[in-house]
Amino acid sequence: MEAPVEDKRISLKEAVKLVPDGAHLFWGGFGFQRPPMAFAHELVRQKKQNLTIYTCGSEMELDILVGARVVSRLEMAFYAIEGIGLAPNIQRRIREGVIQIEDYSNLAMALRFLGGALGVPFMPLKSMLGTDMLAKTRFRTKKAEVMVCPFTGEKVVLVPSVRPDFSIVHASRVDMEGNAQIDGIKGEDVEGARAGKKVIVLAEEIVDTEFIRSQPDQTVIPNIYVTHVVECPWGSFPMMVYNYYDYDMEHVRMYYEQCKTEEGWQKYCEEYITSVNSHIEFLQKIGIKRLMKHKAKKPLPY
Amino acid sequence: MAKKYAKPEEFNTLELMAVCGSKQINNGDVVFIGTGLPLIAAMLAKKTHAPGAKIVYEAGFIDSNAKEIALSIADSRLGYRASGAIGLIETLGLMLQGGHVDLGFVGAAQIDEYGNINTTYIGSFEKPTTRLPGSGGGNDIVSSAKRIVVIMTHEKRKMVKKLDYLTSPGFLDGPGAREKAGLRGGGPSLVVTNLCQMDFDPETKRIRLATVHPGVSVQQILENTSFDLIVPKDVPTTELPTHEELVLLREIDPHGIYIPRPK
Repeated sequence: MEAPVEDKRISLKEAVKLVPDGAHLFWGGFGFQRPPMAFAHELVRQKKQNLTIYTCGSEMELDILVGARVVSRLEMAFYAIEGIGLAPNIQRRIREGVIQIEDYSNLAMALRFLGGALGVPFMPLKSMLGTDMLAKTRFRTKKAEVMVCPFTGEKVVLVPSVRPDFSIVHASRVDMEGNAQIDGIKGEDVEGARAGKKVIVLAEEIVDTEFIRSQPDQTVIPNIYVTHVVECPWGSFPMMVYNYYDYDMEHVRMYYEQCKTEEGWQKYCEEYITSVNSHIEFLQKIGIKRLMKHKAKKPLPY
Repeated sequence: MAKKYAKPEEFNTLELMAVCGSKQINNGDVVFIGTGLPLIAAMLAKKTHAPGAKIVYEAGFIDSNAKEIALSIADSRLGYRASGAIGLIETLGLMLQGGHVDLGFVGAAQIDEYGNINTTYIGSFEKPTTRLPGSGGGNDIVSSAKRIVVIMTHEKRKMVKKLDYLTSPGFLDGPGAREKAGLRGGGPSLVVTNLCQMDFDPETKRIRLATVHPGVSVQQILENTSFDLIVPKDVPTTELPTHEELVLLREIDPHGIYIPRPK
């Protein structure tokens, strides 16, 4: 007899409630692809504070979190609003001195997540050698270390593994016990989803576990790692999810222009995040017509 | 068949830079690129002399054949007829650090005379005036690819004697420094700007004027450069784009996302 399917589903609000002030988060998605935007909005609505985020590269949703003073520390490799400019809120908060960034390269961050997932304290790599990323430290007691390999005598950089309190990943689809599929690029989500002490998988859709089990080779995150599952359609909008929807560059450009000033950011935050009560209300505000315009036009993935 | 070059008034500087970049891609090369002009250069190379080049984006799209311009290196557009869509440990770790990448394109906010690159801070580390995007995969690419082409605008404040922050390693402080630091990749081979192309003197590893774009004088380049640029006796003019290349560039970026037109 097979065991009954475990139900790990909770709501977006419940999931965000689990994150205490001061928590450390792995933040999934890469660039414009699959950022946990809805989760970021809800963190802002619940007025979380003093979070530390670990990620390779993040964009608009990270700018929102920093703008709303939800996040005070970042360990990462890259932020911008690609193709448009520098992330406006982060720029301003750095000048105000309320956000600190510890810089690593993308490979270094990805390996730090892999190290955390593997349960080893550090990982070696051949990047960052000879640079200020090694020489200059912002807030960590120890950021990275050059070591001579005991076997070959070759120089390598050691970076500390990361085991954050939570991993937040937005997947394409997941079953209710947490087996997740990710279409398109995975960025650093495969390792990041395995690094967290607790793992919250949000997904565009929840599918029957029989569907997952009919194609087990497509499972990128097996349920063993996953603590909670959240159904979250259009959860990365106005950024993109491969095979589901394209980015809404008009909205992103409006955000970028408006957030150049603190007043503009406050207006955006109120209009699209705090004056709506839920992700669904945010989507209603965007409007079904506009969402449908960005729905992927198959067979294209965007 | 002899190449039919365009006249200088028939193209703009960005088109010339894209063509310069594309010429650095050999057929069969595994190439790491980002968005912007390198994306255009790679698409052009694949349509001309290097159809067998494999274009890799660090976010995970492998051997992409995108038919539309992408705004992000993670853009779903790059998934069109790609051979793979995987992750960063594979692209930057297994492919790049594993030694399979022939050429990488990067940008720079500042570069010094040894080709070291800053993409992180302007001003002091303690109190920066501007926080730039950071390394991303840039440091990884410049550390480990066999060859590096830098594409950037040529201004005095960008071509500096001393970087505000060293994000990605050129030849560090001179010959042998990369090897001593433990770096495996070949380091920068060419810098393409809106004024000229610069390469690196094999003996001193210092940056050197290679070609001057049409209509630009050596004096003008020196006036826009803060470090000591090696200027050889005879510096040729940059090879002009052909009509074929210009037609293709307009097909690749019809809406002028990265190459706005008219000039």
